[in-house]
Amino acid sequence: MAVLARFLPSREARLGLTLILPVALIMGGLVFLPLLATLIDSLFRIAPMKPGTPFVGLKNYADLMGDAKVTTAWVNTAAYVVMTVVIETVGGLAMALLLNAVTVGRRWLLAIMVLPWCLPPVVNAIIWMWIYNPAYGPLNGLLMTVGLIDGPQVWFNDRGTGLFLVSLVHAWRMMPLTAIILFAALQSIPAELYEAARLDGAGALKRLRQITLPLIAPGLTIALSQSTVFAVNLFDEAWVLNGVSMDTRSVIIQVYVTAFQNLKFSAGMALSVLAMVVSLAVSALYVLRVYRETRFE
Amino acid sequence: MTPRRRISQWSRRAGLCLGAAVMVLWSLAPIYWSFLTSITPPGGLVSSGLRLWPEAATTEHFAKLFGATSVSQGNEVQSVWPQFSAAFANSLITSGLATVVTVILAAFGAWAFVRLSFPGKNVIFIAVVATLAIPAYTVMIPLYRLMIAAGLIDTYAGVTLIYVSAFLPLALWLMRSVYQSMPLSLEEAAWLDGASKLRAFVQVVLPLAGPGLVACAILTFLSAWGQFMVPLVFSPTLATKPLTVLIPEFVTRNYVDYGLMNAAGMVAIVPPMILVLFLNRFLVQGLMAGAGK
Repeated sequence: MAVLARFLPSREARLGLTLILPVALIMGGLVFLPLLATLIDSLFRIAPMKPGTPFVGLKNYADLMGDAKVTTAWVNTAAYVVMTVVIETVGGLAMALLLNAVTVGRRWLLAIMVLPWCLPPVVNAIIWMWIYNPAYGPLNGLLMTVGLIDGPQVWFNDRGTGLFLVSLVHAWRMMPLTAIILFAALQSIPAELYEAARLDGAGALKRLRQITLPLIAPGLTIALSQSTVFAVNLFDEAWVLNGVSMDTRSVIIQVYVTAFQNLKFSAGMALSVLAMVVSLAVSALYVLRVYRETRFE
Repeated sequence: MTPRRRISQWSRRAGLCLGAAVMVLWSLAPIYWSFLTSITPPGGLVSSGLRLWPEAATTEHFAKLFGATSVSQGNEVQSVWPQFSAAFANSLITSGLATVVTVILAAFGAWAFVRLSFPGKNVIFIAVVATLAIPAYTVMIPLYRLMIAAGLIDTYAGVTLIYVSAFLPLALWLMRSVYQSMPLSLEEAAWLDGASKLRAFVQVVLPLAGPGLVACAILTFLSAWGQFMVPLVFSPTLATKPLTVLIPEFVTRNYVDYGLMNAAGMVAIVPPMILVLFLNRFLVQGLMAGAGK
């Protein structure tokens, strides 16, 4: 019996495995298996409109390199990443500093600030679509009142403007997340540090540069990487605001169009693998940091 | 207090108020504008100029959503209520089911990861949490074929399962940090009284984990409620199509009904608004715990 018991899992292990089983089944079946399938299938030609599924090696990937639409989509996504990360980080830091300084009604300020993040991205995009409307939108009205433009603009006629406006909608939604991450980091800075710096005669800007920023650096890293990953995955806003237009088509829209509209499954999978590699490379920094700081007992 | 110090404090307070006002305006103005559009008659939309309240508020866009018949540009058209109500119900059902399943699995699973020892524990946990970095679309195409093969396309079960697989990692991560912050002595006391480990967990630990579970539930519900790309692929018909997919379809081929779209949007944000209004403390705590660790 004693020999046998060594090979059977203990009561505790059985309980643990039982509780984990549904998690493992769902994640295995719906994430890891499909992921493996994506990696393998991207090496075949799989398209419902074409007979057979021959092995084509890296041809799908090679074809992507030469595809002008794919290149445009990558350029657009790069533009989204740069613009949204800058807007979210600058705006999010300002919000976090403000929240940290406010003492009265902070809870409700937090609630109002986090609201855009809580709304469905599609609804956000529709709200902004109406703001950007060439004929009736308040953006034209506002800019004309201030005198910045002479007549109503059709904003999405210009690629650069279109990219910026999509980025603005995305940043409006994601900024609260950056703000909350940075606010959490700010909360952990002891107030005595600022007191001491003030006694030493350090000005507000100097305190920000020499105390605040270095001490929230870990939070800043997390905020930067999550906003980058979300920007690489941008889909909803560009889709609702400007559809499949090449001007604002992101890589993920390109994946969707390739796979589900043109029904070139394997080509879509190859592109999604590349997008995943980019996402993973960015979040590797973050994940590494998380695991270094976390001890598994 | 010197006068100079008093002036600097006063200007600091004024600056904070200004900053807070800008932040509130930035967060709420777009939503308010959309609300305004939803109660402005179609003729009023055309008149330019910024208004804080329409000349004559109307409920006609909402009536179009909720009415049995519908009038658009003078012609009687088919009411959107059957579609809209079905989509609203679908959103509630899929988000609700995903939330319940995710929270239950995370509540028990995370505790097992924290308090029990069993083979493969660390590997499984790292693998599951690592999927947070895998974008959903990477698995979507094989998932689509898998769901077709399993007959789960356009079913509540299929959509719910996909949502659970997407939101479970964050929920596990959150609940793990909740359990880790609880002293083991709580459970040990129950063990000494003769309770089994599972029983001690359910009777002692789980009730204390309430705020964490609520945070988990809110985050999952909001994420599921806002989903667009997953249902765009997996919910092709009104059998499971949610609001997020239906509302953009109100852009008809030749005429964009902005009043209707904004009214529908306003209805779609009611559940998230309610959550933020009443449970914002848990939501913010959850976000801070999930993002900060």
